[in-house]
Amino acid sequence: MLFVVVLLLCAGAAIVARPVCRILGRWGAPVLAGAPLAAFVLLLREQPAIAGGEVLLASAAWVPTLGVDLAFRLDGFSLLFALLVTGIGTLVTLYAGAYFAEKPPATAGRFLSLILLFMTAMLGTVLADNLVVMFLFWEATSLLSFMLVGFDSEKAEARRAALQALIVTGGGGLTLFAGILLIGITLGTFSYTEVLGRADELVASPWLTPIIVLILLGAFTKSAQVPFQFWLPNAMQAPTPASAYLHSATMVKLGVFLLARFDQVFAGVPWFGGTLVVVGSLTMLVASFEALRATGFKAVLAQSTVASLGILVMLIGLDSEVAVVATVGFLITHAFYKAALFFCAGNAIHATGEAHLSRLGGLARVLPFTAFAALLASFSMAGLPPFIGFISKEYLFDAQLSSTWSVAPVLVAVIVNSVMVGVAGVVSIRPFFMARRRTLTIRHGETPGLLIGPLALAIGGIALGIVPNVVAATLIAPAVLALTDTPVDVSFSLWHGVTPMLVLSGLVITMGILIAVFWTPIHVTLRRRRILHRLFGDRFYERAFNGTLALASRSTQVLQNGDQHRYTAVVVTSTVAILAVGLLVSGTGLPFVAQGPLRVSVVAVLAIAVAGAVATTLARSLVGALVSVGIVGFASAFVFLLNGAPDLALTQFSVETLLVVILTAVLLRVPLARAHSRTPSERRRDAFIAALFAVFVFVGAASMSATPPNMELSAFFGAASYLEAYGRNVVNVILVDFRAIDTLGEVAVVAFATLAAWALLRRGGAPRPLKTKG
Amino acid sequence: MPIIFATMSRLYFALMLGGSLFILMRGHNDPGGGFIGGLMAAAAFATLALTRGVDHARRVLRVHPVVLVGCGLALACVSGLPGLVSDASYLTHWWTSGAVHLGTATLFDIGVYLVVLGGVLCLVLRLYEDLHGEVAP
Repeated sequence: MLFVVVLLLCAGAAIVARPVCRILGRWGAPVLAGAPLAAFVLLLREQPAIAGGEVLLASAAWVPTLGVDLAFRLDGFSLLFALLVTGIGTLVTLYAGAYFAEKPPATAGRFLSLILLFMTAMLGTVLADNLVVMFLFWEATSLLSFMLVGFDSEKAEARRAALQALIVTGGGGLTLFAGILLIGITLGTFSYTEVLGRADELVASPWLTPIIVLILLGAFTKSAQVPFQFWLPNAMQAPTPASAYLHSATMVKLGVFLLARFDQVFAGVPWFGGTLVVVGSLTMLVASFEALRATGFKAVLAQSTVASLGILVMLIGLDSEVAVVATVGFLITHAFYKAALFFCAGNAIHATGEAHLSRLGGLARVLPFTAFAALLASFSMAGLPPFIGFISKEYLFDAQLSSTWSVAPVLVAVIVNSVMVGVAGVVSIRPFFMARRRTLTIRHGETPGLLIGPLALAIGGIALGIVPNVVAATLIAPAVLALTDTPVDVSFSLWHGVTPMLVLSGLVITMGILIAVFWTPIHVTLRRRRILHRLFGDRFYERAFNGTLALASRSTQVLQNGDQHRYTAVVVTSTVAILAVGLLVSGTGLPFVAQGPLRVSVVAVLAIAVAGAVATTLARSLVGALVSVGIVGFASAFVFLLNGAPDLALTQFSVETLLVVILTAVLLRVPLARAHSRTPSERRRDAFIAALFAVFVFVGAASMSATPPNMELSAFFGAASYLEAYGRNVVNVILVDFRAIDTLGEVAVVAFATLAAWALLRRGGAPRPLKTKG
Repeated sequence: MPIIFATMSRLYFALMLGGSLFILMRGHNDPGGGFIGGLMAAAAFATLALTRGVDHARRVLRVHPVVLVGCGLALACVSGLPGLVSDASYLTHWWTSGAVHLGTATLFDIGVYLVVLGGVLCLVLRLYEDLHGEVAP
């Protein structure tokens, strides 16, 4: 029940978002934010039970024949994610309302409905227990992030970034689906709970390696790991509220979520964790260098997000309980400070219209609260005491030092965390407090809606750091319990004494301050070096993308050369080949068995049809040919009628009539009589193909009619038609009742095919400009 | 256009449209049904467009053909919903008891009728428009 209520709350808010925004104007967003807030409270009420080790499971049959149930699972880990999704979702909704305050209510409504839908999809993904259901929600997040990244659809860059995000994450989603299907085939179940219980069976199966590779691909694309990390910085084209939500706090963490879940399943596979450590470390390195090279405010934050995701992936790969604690702790910490920083970046960009870090300065004077929030959040990011970021970084080092890995990951972590400190300094102190070039034009000041989010998260970051045991006991311990199945002592405190971790922290902070101070020379030097960028940029994506388009256009040129003559020849020859193979395989030979007496009426009608066909080939004008073909059509309708198929005959009559009506319209636009363009040799070849076609169709039809038909179905429908569907016309009853779902599909095909043809037939060269709603 | 054909076209139109509705409604027990009915109705409107111009046909139709396609598809989809309630099986039709059986299957057939009518008219009217050099709305 809880699951349904929570999901419906968000989905319902998404559905009513547009009218609500139109009616309530700027008060729409605060009202809508009530939905995720209510979901948050509802989920929080489950916390005591979950912390006690309980796992809430609920299930309803959906597609029982395929083993797909609407099954949901709430344990400590999914509760943590669900609370992050709804909690930050509430703040994002409020923030988005203020962010779009100057835009027309329709724009705000559109954005809010997308964000709330996205929230629903996220919640579904983390709460689903059935892997197929989880995949459905997972794909929905990819689709919705496409809509959100490309929200400013008139910008070409936004469209490109949206498509890139969709192709990369959607492609990864497909491999994930393949992995899920393989799990289903191996174990005969899609339930995560059951998969977890039978993990040893899965590990012993021969499909283990493909399953792991496919799932890893899905998670790595979603969570922007090397070599797929390029899409995330590009996705910064999205409006800032979307960036804060999708690309810092929630969506990109789905991959992490999945990996943490499956890390439990694949605990007995050493190379699973090993791959995570290597890929995570590589991502951390690449992203921190890219962060030093980036120029835009949001771009720097995006690269640091990629680095953070790398840290999370690496932590999951490490094999100790401390690592699990570190993972969960860093998840929370990162969500708090990164969302806050994105909000602050949004405020700065919103106020000045300037996205480049180097052109921003002295904003603290005009945006004092934003500056305050940015400062707090960046301290947490830098890992300074007493912020929660400090604790989580201590745990990171602890996890690395206590793992069986060599010193390499520690080295990477030191470098990356130094860069994070540097980035923290650069994004908070530089634009807000260093007034080298004062930003003169401020378009908008701060409004309450723009401040609630960043302030709540930034102050939350320090509050959690001062009383760390609260979050440790309520959220981290249950999540760790869910991931390890054993109660772990989570002693979350600021002071551990002088430990190796503290020494490393000191080193990191010193190096980070140096990076922040010498940012400009480092930045300029690195911008000249393009090797890393070339290796890990989106060049390979571009090449693959353009290559596919080029292949498509070349194959189109070959296959669709515009010569109707060739098309017909290909179709007819293929049909002949297929018929020939069929006849050879079935080996029926040439059974000319006459059944029943010769019926004069049928022979007469067929003679008319033959005359029509011959006349068609001899016709000198197109209209003449059309009329002759019509004769063949009407004759076949008569044959249907004579053989007791009045429905078929009626349809054939109507189709023939309409064909004449439509073709006349087409034919009146082309020259009615024109000289034959075919050479004699071409005509001879065509005649040969046609004759071959005729022979094979005849033999095929004859051998089909020689096989006695199976009357079982006819008898059943004849008997059941009136009793079960109250209709005497069996054909119609089958169409609208017995096999109505088929008809529905066909009708849908007719509808969409017509729409496409109708759109193609529109006249006038350039398409009409998109309507911009005022 | 021959004057007799032009004059008689309204009569033909009415006859064909009426016939198509007849064919549609009797389809459950006798030869006919939504598909054939839709084709005949399309032919009726095509006749009108041929003799009195596409604009006239569009005015008589009142709504855009694409709207008909959408409505038909929606109707066909919706007609299956009651089955979910009674039988938990989509497109299991409901029937009235009594001498005359009416049911959601009729709605389904009307949906088919509308899709076919709208679909064919989309193309026919567009083609005729190009022919006569009229401008599409």
